[in-house]
Amino acid sequence: MDETVAEYIRRTVLKIPRDEIKMLLQKWGFLSEAQLQTLNFHQIKDNISQEVVQLCEENSADIKQAAVLDIIYNHAYQNKRMWHVYQMKKSGEDLEYFDITDFKKAFKGRLRSALKNVTITFKEYEDNAIWIRVAWGTPNKKPNQYKPSYVVYHSQTPYVFISTSVLKSTLPLLCQALMVASNYHDIREMELRSHSLNSLKDIVFKRYSQNFQTHSPKPVKGGNVEPEKDIRIVEENKSEKERIHRLNQEVFGSGPLPKLEFAQYRLETMFKSDPKMDVLDKKEPFRCLVKFSSPHLLESLKSLAPAGMADAPLSPLLTCIPHKARNYFKIREKKGLFPEGFVSP
Amino acid sequence: GQKGKKKIKLKTVGQRYFIDGQREKKKQCDYPPCLLTHCESVDAQKIAFLLRKAWTLYSVTPLFRFHRARLTEYARLLSAFIAAEKRKGLAVEVGVELDIKVALTSLADLRGSELDQAALLVQLSSRSQASSRNSEDKLVWSGWFCSMFGDDFSENVLEDFTCLPLFLSHGAESYTTLVGSWFQKTFDCCFRRLAISPLNLSWMVAMWAGCKLDRAASAVELVFSVPCLSQPLDISYAIHPEDAKALWDTVQKTPGEITQEEVDVFMDCLYAHFHRHFKIHLSATKLVKVSTAVASAHCDGIVKILHSQYLPGVLMLLTELAISQIQ
Repeated sequence: MDETVAEYIRRTVLKIPRDEIKMLLQKWGFLSEAQLQTLNFHQIKDNISQEVVQLCEENSADIKQAAVLDIIYNHAYQNKRMWHVYQMKKSGEDLEYFDITDFKKAFKGRLRSALKNVTITFKEYEDNAIWIRVAWGTPNKKPNQYKPSYVVYHSQTPYVFISTSVLKSTLPLLCQALMVASNYHDIREMELRSHSLNSLKDIVFKRYSQNFQTHSPKPVKGGNVEPEKDIRIVEENKSEKERIHRLNQEVFGSGPLPKLEFAQYRLETMFKSDPKMDVLDKKEPFRCLVKFSSPHLLESLKSLAPAGMADAPLSPLLTCIPHKARNYFKIREKKGLFPEGFVSP
Repeated sequence: GQKGKKKIKLKTVGQRYFIDGQREKKKQCDYPPCLLTHCESVDAQKIAFLLRKAWTLYSVTPLFRFHRARLTEYARLLSAFIAAEKRKGLAVEVGVELDIKVALTSLADLRGSELDQAALLVQLSSRSQASSRNSEDKLVWSGWFCSMFGDDFSENVLEDFTCLPLFLSHGAESYTTLVGSWFQKTFDCCFRRLAISPLNLSWMVAMWAGCKLDRAASAVELVFSVPCLSQPLDISYAIHPEDAKALWDTVQKTPGEITQEEVDVFMDCLYAHFHRHFKIHLSATKLVKVSTAVASAHCDGIVKILHSQYLPGVLMLLTELAISQIQ
């Protein structure tokens, strides 16, 4: 077995938390169940990975198998990577039958015709997701297995999720190969990024419960059996609280929201002040960059108005995130009739 | 915190201002600092070590019977103390046995006026016993005591006391604790972490946003935290430095003078612009960090000074905060 392959497998196994190693090796399926039984998982990881490498040596593992193990690791820990969303466009209207073999062949063909040294690996998952791993080399150097790009493509959709290699120059070639293989003529990056791959899918595939303009039933007074309330206690602003709650429901829905970690706004709007404050009155934009971060951004935004930190309804700049499928915005002043409005290109 | 009838005398051109209740608080600040005529010219080389490092702030009560002439002796005593504590099992580093060397230096230039004590620098270096004799010492921790225009405080203090109310440390907290304990024991003083309130952070961002800088400056950034929601939220609000300065310049009425009211107006403008877009009341959230090309400050009492030109001004502000905490 090649030394570089051995080292690569050793390092990949080292990344896996000790309790998960056995399960991921089983998913890999390269080592037999009998071989897995011989492994001692109760020692330090350094030793476990050495033992795994020895077993792989017995089975003469090559880079192809090692690459599959890497996909399995990244699929299990997909949230460690930052994913960008791309949307492809078709010229014609015809629904073509998608053939996975043709796709793989065309993809590999396109890449290999441009670059001799690439390692291309595919793995299909149950939810129609095709995971593609590409390790990039140069005409004179073997592919760098430690800086690959990962692509997740759902064949029935025009969406591709890419976690790029740090080698940025490889991106155009990757996009080209995708278009050629899937028969699209254009690809553009959406202003949508997150660590949570599933949330990105939720947003573009519209898998979350969306706002509904509904006749939400008003709380029935006296209809239900309520616990004994002290009549001396009066709930302040009850109607205001109900109004906020209703507006939140309309905008955010009542189901779980896609999990995004941040939203960024580049503001190039005018600074408008209260005339009596006698401050800045420039004709140029007041340039700002605003970034919201949270472990679960949409949930935290939803709770701002009930907490009294924001007005209800919340600004459409924030509430449009899921249905506009973007979390990067550039906001300019809208000219003409509605000076208070904003344009988001 | 700020107390009601506090007197803050800031030496600028020999004039003094008094605080009369909280609303009328005036600060005379000299920007550009070429007007700080009686601040000894600070040698850029000597203070390079201060810049671009994150310093943790403490207030320190006056040191009893501290003698400048005995620095070498103090260094030896501190070194012995650290070695003894390590033998006791309060090890700082696991693994290679480190020999800690202590250096105490006086920084004569680092003070506001003649009435300030010169700054005192403490440096801990290590030389690994495993490596060769000729290997260089590695700086593992530094801390320095300072007083920048703190003479208002030192005026009222008795003879045997040395006033250096501001302490800044950089390095492992375990070393800070060791050094702090020794100073507390030896000079009967008291160290306390210096937190920076949102009020003081807004003073800092307003003052620093107005500074004139020759090179391209970094953004004026305010970071707000909203912890008590279903999910915590952080908001970073960064303004182009030219636009922030332009706003401040229209707010500030008298050059060389800043009032609480002006700081409030500046902040209200920023809050209003934000609210117009997002309908969120930033004033209801907690301001935790401000960052400009001059310096950055975090509410936990951590400061980074980025520009040597404005070093005296920043230290003066921090000295004032330290004194407030002591009094």
